[in-house]
Amino acid sequence: MSRANKTTSQKLTLSKKQNISGWFFLMPATFLIAIMSFIPMFRALLLSFKTGVGNNLKWAGIFNYQRLGQDTVFIQALKNNFIYLLIQVPIMLLLALVLASMLNNKHLRFKGLFRTAIFLPCATSLVSYAIIFRSLFAVDGLVNLILIRLGFLEVGYNFLAHPNSARMVIILALIWRWTGYNMVFYLAGLQNIEYSVYEAAMIDGASPFKTFFKITVPLLKPTILLTAIMSTNGTLQLFDESVNLTNGGPANATITMSHYIYNLSFKYVPNFGYAAAMSYLILILVAVLAFVQMKVGDKRD
Amino acid sequence: MKRKSIALLLAAVLSLSLMGCGAKQEAAQPAAEETTEAATDEASAEEAPAAEASADSNTLTVWCWDPAFNIYAMEQAAEVYKEKNPDFVLNVVETPWADIQTKLTTAATSSDLSSLPDIMLLQDNAFQKNVISYPDAFTDISGSGIAFDQFGGAKLAYSTVDGKNYGVPFDNGAVISCVRTDVLEKAGYTVDDFTDITWSKYIEIGKDVLAKTGTPMLSMQAGETDLIMMMLQSAGGSLFDAEGNPTIVNNAVLAEVMGVYQELIKSGVLIEVNDWDQYIGTLTNSTVAGTINGCWILASIQTAADQSGKWAITNMPKLETVDGATNYSNNGGSSWVVTSNCKNVDLATDFLGSTFAGSVEFYEKILPSSGALATYLPAADSAVYGEPQAFFNDQTIYALITEFAGKVPSNNTGVYYYEARDAVATALTNVVNGADITSELQAAEDTVKFQMGQ
Amino acid sequence: MIKIKRSFQYVVLTVVSFVSVFPLLWMVISATNTSLDVTRGAMLPGKALIENFQKLIGAQNVSQAMMNSFKYAILLTFASLCICSLAGYGFEIFHDKGKDVVMGVILLAMMVPFAATMIPLFQMFSKAGLLNTTAGFMLPTISTPFLIMLFRQSARSFPHDIIEAARIDGLNEFQIFYKMFFPTMRSTYAAAMTITFMNAWNNYLWPKVIMTDQKSITMPMLVANLTEGYVTDYGVLMLGVLLCTIPTIIIFFVLQKSFAEGITGAVK
Repeated sequence: MSRANKTTSQKLTLSKKQNISGWFFLMPATFLIAIMSFIPMFRALLLSFKTGVGNNLKWAGIFNYQRLGQDTVFIQALKNNFIYLLIQVPIMLLLALVLASMLNNKHLRFKGLFRTAIFLPCATSLVSYAIIFRSLFAVDGLVNLILIRLGFLEVGYNFLAHPNSARMVIILALIWRWTGYNMVFYLAGLQNIEYSVYEAAMIDGASPFKTFFKITVPLLKPTILLTAIMSTNGTLQLFDESVNLTNGGPANATITMSHYIYNLSFKYVPNFGYAAAMSYLILILVAVLAFVQMKVGDKRD
Repeated sequence: MKRKSIALLLAAVLSLSLMGCGAKQEAAQPAAEETTEAATDEASAEEAPAAEASADSNTLTVWCWDPAFNIYAMEQAAEVYKEKNPDFVLNVVETPWADIQTKLTTAATSSDLSSLPDIMLLQDNAFQKNVISYPDAFTDISGSGIAFDQFGGAKLAYSTVDGKNYGVPFDNGAVISCVRTDVLEKAGYTVDDFTDITWSKYIEIGKDVLAKTGTPMLSMQAGETDLIMMMLQSAGGSLFDAEGNPTIVNNAVLAEVMGVYQELIKSGVLIEVNDWDQYIGTLTNSTVAGTINGCWILASIQTAADQSGKWAITNMPKLETVDGATNYSNNGGSSWVVTSNCKNVDLATDFLGSTFAGSVEFYEKILPSSGALATYLPAADSAVYGEPQAFFNDQTIYALITEFAGKVPSNNTGVYYYEARDAVATALTNVVNGADITSELQAAEDTVKFQMGQ
Repeated sequence: MIKIKRSFQYVVLTVVSFVSVFPLLWMVISATNTSLDVTRGAMLPGKALIENFQKLIGAQNVSQAMMNSFKYAILLTFASLCICSLAGYGFEIFHDKGKDVVMGVILLAMMVPFAATMIPLFQMFSKAGLLNTTAGFMLPTISTPFLIMLFRQSARSFPHDIIEAARIDGLNEFQIFYKMFFPTMRSTYAAAMTITFMNAWNNYLWPKVIMTDQKSITMPMLVANLTEGYVTDYGVLMLGVLLCTIPTIIIFFVLQKSFAEGITGAVK
């Protein structure tokens, strides 16, 4: 064996070795997900081709999927989910980014308090924040009081009784609750950016606006992608706000797909086949959106 | 040691699930070994004793949810029963109603009933749905010797499926109309003006009270159909016929009910609030001069101690144009069921039969501190039920409510009760906002029919 | 000029903080009021805190629920971080076509609503005798696509030259992970720990299905118990909610410095 040959074969085994240890790293997690998620998901997929009451299930082919198109409640829920997604996610992520870059300022005082305060909403229990939001937006609530004082309204407006304003309340509640949560990841991501880069930009006289879009956003791209996918997923599976804030009302104007799935499974006469079909539609929607986001944002430079 | 047990555990879960979907068994072994390393982090997987139905011949496990109410009643029943059966042990697991429903559905759908307790409490409105969807999960107790004829017919109907008794009725949901006598006085009325009246009379007086005092008579949660369902049942109406077909369209009772509701809103006699907390707030804040609900609302009313002596109760208004209209209805209530996981059905039925369905003394014992009103008819004659209550101007409210309960017309919840209720709620919201009643009811019926067509 | 800018920042942050804290503040105030005062819209601290506390511990086993919640949340957080950071690191550092595809497939696991997979999962766990156990609580959420992806995205900023250098120094792959990656990524770990602890602490749907035992109760289940029943005692409820919220807040407050002010200088 020549010397050159030996080196190549050594190199090969080395990269092979690395490849294998790579698989070893991700094995435990992958294995757990396979058992805890994919097996139940496979069962749910089978279920989505069956129909019947309770335990009396029969094969029904794509019947459940066909039904989706005729279900007015479902179509309403789908629309609502997309309204939330399109309006809420961009506003929330931008706000979280702005707050994170403000709080990343070394010279800022009371950083710890500000950070904790802004994070608090997602730790605050649903029970109390639902009560608060409902009473804030009640006819005699604080929001109406302010609007009347400022002269925008003559009498109190019942925000939760009208479709568009009820959706707006849900969107506000979501932004309120999840901005701090996303900010955490941006803050953590910002630690990987050298602070000197900012200082250099400041010395160069770059405006904060320019620094934000030219330095912060590009360097945080992997984290932004992560939060975008997670928020898309979270919004299309939205459940808590619909149940606790508006209970889907008025007249299903704010109901979400997950809320409807829950009703079909546990409130109404259980129809798990149909609920499973709906769940798979959500999977497809999120998967397509996540795929697009990955294509756009997941490039290794 | 720890490592090994977890590996075994994981392997067990794995092989089970693999068998479940028909994958190759060989895969389990190496894969399980690889997780061992990772799984060491997860600490001990201790085997806590499961609290399923009791194996021991003297113990019963029960799921119910309200410490001040049904849990208290259950515990008192155990005390009563222990007098004759000293070895008896009762194990109550506090489980909210929504969780009972989730657990029951999950267990029954998995065909694995071993996690269920011996006895659980079911909401009457969900009774038919559960027994018909999961007949295997419950025990038919018709032949157990429990005296079912001692309960009011309307109440017993909830827990009876195909002529078989599956439940022992518990609390009373008889509807009462509560009024603030101090507010009425300012407008020149008394509680008698609200007794045995019709809805149009109620609206007429309500408008007058509103004009004179600025206080509306009623508040309701927007998007909820409680009042609709109460009015419907007061005339013996249902959303389903005897065969279980939806009767939302061409339902004279329902059409009138929707009209009355619309009128109540339009006249300002009824105000809508957005949630339950705000509803309770309108009562404790004196925003409204009364309410109409199941008699269990009394407990919330009585939290406002400073309103003592200012409340009175009477029966609800009745509908005018339909046959069989009464001043009595029902909202809420629950019944006990024995699950099929109960190993000792004789003990369970003997326990329920000699307490909830056989002891006036027991009902007398639980009334003062829980306000739990019986649907067990013999209890009504007891002296405890006839005691005047200071909060209600010395009215003998318990005797009165028990009397109301005996006059409630039966209704048919049907299996698809919640579907229909939600569809009617949607229609109601639209009607309140000015939509046409007939077309909204048609849409509601279409929705229910769609949901039934699985 | 800079001063104006800075005070503008303070104004914005103060307003946002106030809006964020308001419901929590209300919760604290409500916990000190009687139920009646809460339904009447009390906005000032009351005197009923001790009374509410006595009622709460009289009706519910708070210490048991606290202990259980801490046990589940701490164990789960620890296990989760170990397994998912390993995987995230593996997916990024050793990335190739195959692993990228596996990553994509793993992401699918979070896209189905839990309500749909809950029943098959319950069946598995019931057969394996895992109802009412710590393992039963933990197993489904130890490995989450979210955490794996979080570590994968963070590993992207981990310089490859360090790995190469370490390899030349003779460290094996696991040592590189443990001695190089782990300390550098402290801010990511701290953020992940906060979020995982919070999610584990607040997890409700799954425990309520598999815990059928009074002894296995968690804090969110205790709060749910308080909202059930014909009468809700709002003062007691808010105190329960407050007790359920405090641990997450403390964890956040303690950890926020680690993830937001990083440890500069480890990687240059």
